[in-house]
Amino acid sequence: MNSSWSHYGKTMTCNVAKALRLLGIVAGAAAFEYSGGACTPGTCRETRNLLRISLFQGASRSGYQMRNWLRGSMAWMAMLFALSPAAAPSVAQVSSYRAPRTADGKPDLNGIWQVLNTADWDLEGHAAEASPVASLGAVFATPPGLGVVEGDEIPYLPTMAAKKKENKANWTKLDPEVKCYLPGVPRATYLPYPFQIVQSQNSVLISYEYAGAVRVINMGAPTKAPAESWMGWSNGHWEGETLVVDVTSQVEDTWFDRSGNFHSDALHVVERYTPRSADTLNYEATIEDPKVFLRPWKISMPLYRRVEKNARLLEYKCPEFAEELLYGPLRKRTTN
Amino acid sequence: MMHRSLASSIAFAVAIATSLIVQTPAAGQAQSPATKAAAAKTAPESKAWAPQLTPDGKPDLQGVWSNNTVTPLERPKGLAGKEFYTEAELKDLQKQERERLMVTETEGQPSANHSGIEGADPDDVHYDFSQFGLDRAQAKLAWSRRTSIIVGPEGTIPSLNPDARKRLAEIRAKAKGHEFDGPENLPLGARCIARVNVVPLIPSAYNSNLQIVQGAGYVAIETEMIHDVRIIPTDGRAHLPANIRQWYGDPIGHWEGNTLVIDSTNFTDLSPFRGAQNLHVIERLTRVDRDTILYQFTVEDPGMWAKPWSGELVITKIDGQIYEYACHEGNYGLADTLRGARVTEADAANKSAK
Repeated sequence: MNSSWSHYGKTMTCNVAKALRLLGIVAGAAAFEYSGGACTPGTCRETRNLLRISLFQGASRSGYQMRNWLRGSMAWMAMLFALSPAAAPSVAQVSSYRAPRTADGKPDLNGIWQVLNTADWDLEGHAAEASPVASLGAVFATPPGLGVVEGDEIPYLPTMAAKKKENKANWTKLDPEVKCYLPGVPRATYLPYPFQIVQSQNSVLISYEYAGAVRVINMGAPTKAPAESWMGWSNGHWEGETLVVDVTSQVEDTWFDRSGNFHSDALHVVERYTPRSADTLNYEATIEDPKVFLRPWKISMPLYRRVEKNARLLEYKCPEFAEELLYGPLRKRTTN
Repeated sequence: MMHRSLASSIAFAVAIATSLIVQTPAAGQAQSPATKAAAAKTAPESKAWAPQLTPDGKPDLQGVWSNNTVTPLERPKGLAGKEFYTEAELKDLQKQERERLMVTETEGQPSANHSGIEGADPDDVHYDFSQFGLDRAQAKLAWSRRTSIIVGPEGTIPSLNPDARKRLAEIRAKAKGHEFDGPENLPLGARCIARVNVVPLIPSAYNSNLQIVQGAGYVAIETEMIHDVRIIPTDGRAHLPANIRQWYGDPIGHWEGNTLVIDSTNFTDLSPFRGAQNLHVIERLTRVDRDTILYQFTVEDPGMWAKPWSGELVITKIDGQIYEYACHEGNYGLADTLRGARVTEADAANKSAK
C-alpha cells in the first residue's frame, strides 16, 4: 500500500485536487492535497488547519504508517464526497441494492406499494392552502409538500401556461379525479391509495385501489396500442435492476395532479421502477409532450411497501361517490 | 357435492375441448356423462392433462381467455330434466348461430334487428351489436353441450325462501314507479359500479373476456367488463371482518392439485344477487388443456335459497389483448336515461295541465 501510494498515488491525488479546486470544491481538494503530500505547501496549509489532530504529532514509525493509512482513506472519502451529486431532493442516486429474485430470475416487485407525499395535490413544491370546501375545514385543506419535479418547475410552453392557471383556478370543477375518472399514468402511481403489483414472466399487472384502475404491462415483444385509453398502453422490459415501462396512447382528459397540470394526446411517459431496499422502490417518470411542454421533464419519488400483515387492496369503487355531483341535477324533483 | 361430479366434469370438459368452435365431431360424444365418468375412472392417465407450471411451481392459468357462450344461465322452459344436448342437437345449435349472424350482418334486412325493439327500422337501430363487432357470434364461442350453465336436473336458480321472497317483494314494491328517479334507482351495471359477470364468472353480453396473471402467492383475474380485477391471495389468510362488505366480496384462494379454489364472502346485499345478505361463492378453475379452463361455481345463502346451486362452463383461450372498458368515463347512457325520464315527466305534466 505504501509503495504503490507513494508514486502513482501522489500524482493522481494532486491532479484530482487541482481539478476539484477549479470546480470550487475546496474541502475535497484540500483533503486530496493533504493525502498527496507532494502538493505545493500553500495548498496544504488550510488542510492542516482543518485537520489539526494531535494523533498526527510524533514521528514514530507506527504513527507515520497510520498517517499514511488515514491519508489514503481520507482521500477515498473526499473523492466520494466530491463526486457525489449535489444534495437535491431527488432519490435518483446510484443504488447498489440487489433485490431478491422471482422464481424466473427477475427483480421481485411483487407487493402492495404506496407513496408518502403530496404529489397528487401538486407535483411542484407548494405551501398549505385552505380547503375549497369550507365546511370540511382542516380535514380537506391542501397539505404542504416539497415538489417531485426535477428542477422544481414544470416547463410549460408559454402558450400553455395560461391553461394551467385556468385549470388550477377551477380545479374542483375540472379535475377528473373529483369525478372518479381513471387517472392515467403516472398519476395512478402517486394517488393517495395503495396499488398492487402482480408480476409474472410475460405480464406485470398493476391494480390500483382507486377506482379499480388497472393496467397490464406487456413484458414480451412490444405491441402497438389498438386505441387510445385512459390508462394508456404499456410495454415493459428489464434494464438490470430496473423495470422500464413505456406508456403511450393515453387520452388527453387526465390531469397530473389536483393543481391543473395537464397534457395533450401526444403524451409519452417512460417509467422506471428500481428496488432501493427490501421495502422501498425508486420511482421515476419522464414525461414528454411537445404540444404542451418545452422539453421532457422528470419526476421521482420513493414507493413504500405496505408491510402490515395481510396488507391488501380494498374496493374504492368511486363512481358511486361522484353520482350526486354528476347526476344530482338530473334527479327527479320531489314535489308534494 | 362438488367432488363427486368433478371427475365426470373433467372427463366431460376434455370431450368438450375437442369439439370447440371448429365443429369436428369427437368420438364418443354420444356417450352419456355417466359412461364418460366411468371411462375416466378406469383410464385416468389417458384423460389427465398436466398443465404447465409457473416458475414458482403453481399450475399456470395465465393468458387471455373468454367465456363467451350461447348457453343461458338457466335452462330454457321446456327443457327441464334435459341437462345435455346430443351431439346432433349441438351441431344444429351451432348452425343456427352461424345463420343468425349471417342474417344479422346482411344489409337492409328488417329481421337483422337485434336491438330488442320490436318493429324498429334498421336505420334507427343504434344497438345492432353486429355493426360494432359485438354480436356474440362474432367472437370465439366456448361451446358446451349443456342446456344451461346451472347444473343438475332443474337447471334453474332454486326458488327463494319465503322470508327472502317477502323481503324482495317489499323492495320491488318500494321501487315501483321510482325506477328513474335518480341514479341509485338504476341497476348497478348501468351505473358502472358493478356487473354480474365478475363473481361468479357469468358470461357478459359482449366482450366476455378476462386475463389471468399470476405472481408469487397471488392470482389476479381481470374481467374486461368493467376492467374489474380480483386479486386472490393463496396464502391461507382469513376473510375480512364481517362489517367490511364489497361489491365483489372478499376472495381467498388455495390450490387443490391442479385446481384453484376461490372462496368468497363479505358481499353487499346488492351485488351480485339483490337481497342476499350472507352470500358465499366457491369457484374452481382447472386448466384441462392448453386452450381450456373448466370453470365451476357454487352459490349459497341459506337466507335466500334452501339449497346451494352450482354452475359449470368452459373458458377458452383467445388471441389478442384485453381492451380498456372505461365504463364510468363514457357513461352517457345514465345521464340520458335520467334526462329522458325528466322530459317524459314534464310532457305528462304539461298534458295534464292543459
